[in-house]
Amino acid sequence: MHLHKYEKIWLVFGIGSLILFMVILGYGAFWKGTHPQSHGQIIDPNNVEAYDAFKPENLGVTKVDEGRYVVNIVASAFNYDFGVDDEGNALKHLRIPKGSNVLFQITSPDVVHGFNVAGTNVNMMVEPGYVSKMETVLDTPGEYTIVCNEYCGVGHHLMFGTLEVYE
Amino acid sequence: MASETKKKHDNKKEPNLKGTLASVMFVLAFIVVSWFWVFGIFVTR
Repeated sequence: MHLHKYEKIWLVFGIGSLILFMVILGYGAFWKGTHPQSHGQIIDPNNVEAYDAFKPENLGVTKVDEGRYVVNIVASAFNYDFGVDDEGNALKHLRIPKGSNVLFQITSPDVVHGFNVAGTNVNMMVEPGYVSKMETVLDTPGEYTIVCNEYCGVGHHLMFGTLEVYE
Repeated sequence: MASETKKKHDNKKEPNLKGTLASVMFVLAFIVVSWFWVFGIFVTR
């Protein structure tokens, strides 16, 4: 088979980048432990409260250790349940000190939702029957908008909240 | 002498792919630059 000289050049680059990106993918998956956020941890979507983290009293921000926080959330159509404040009003605003290590744990009792803290790498799908988890360090102070970025129904645009990272 | 004639003949038949190579390299550069750009955003956040 006759190949033009230039053709050989771009074939080398094309196949080379294919191999390079496969290696990056493999490195991330097998050495760095990157995986989908709902890594096979299942839960009964009709009874999410059977799972300790999603009991009403455990929702929202919980400090587990110095500089370590857990945020438990139930995302349902069309609301994020961040728990309640001292007066019993539903929380819509989460506060976490700067530099903390935060583990988000989320599930859905109904349909697929999204959980995106806009401007950070916290971005995951929330599927009924699965627990989606993501651990991150929040280093940049500011107020971030939390949005549902998986279309979940007519009230999709009403699903939001805020996360404040304070000094 | 004979081979020279053959070479000349081959060169004539060979299509000019300079523009194609330039476009392919342009697309390659775009992909590489945008990949590292997005990766940079991911790392700094």
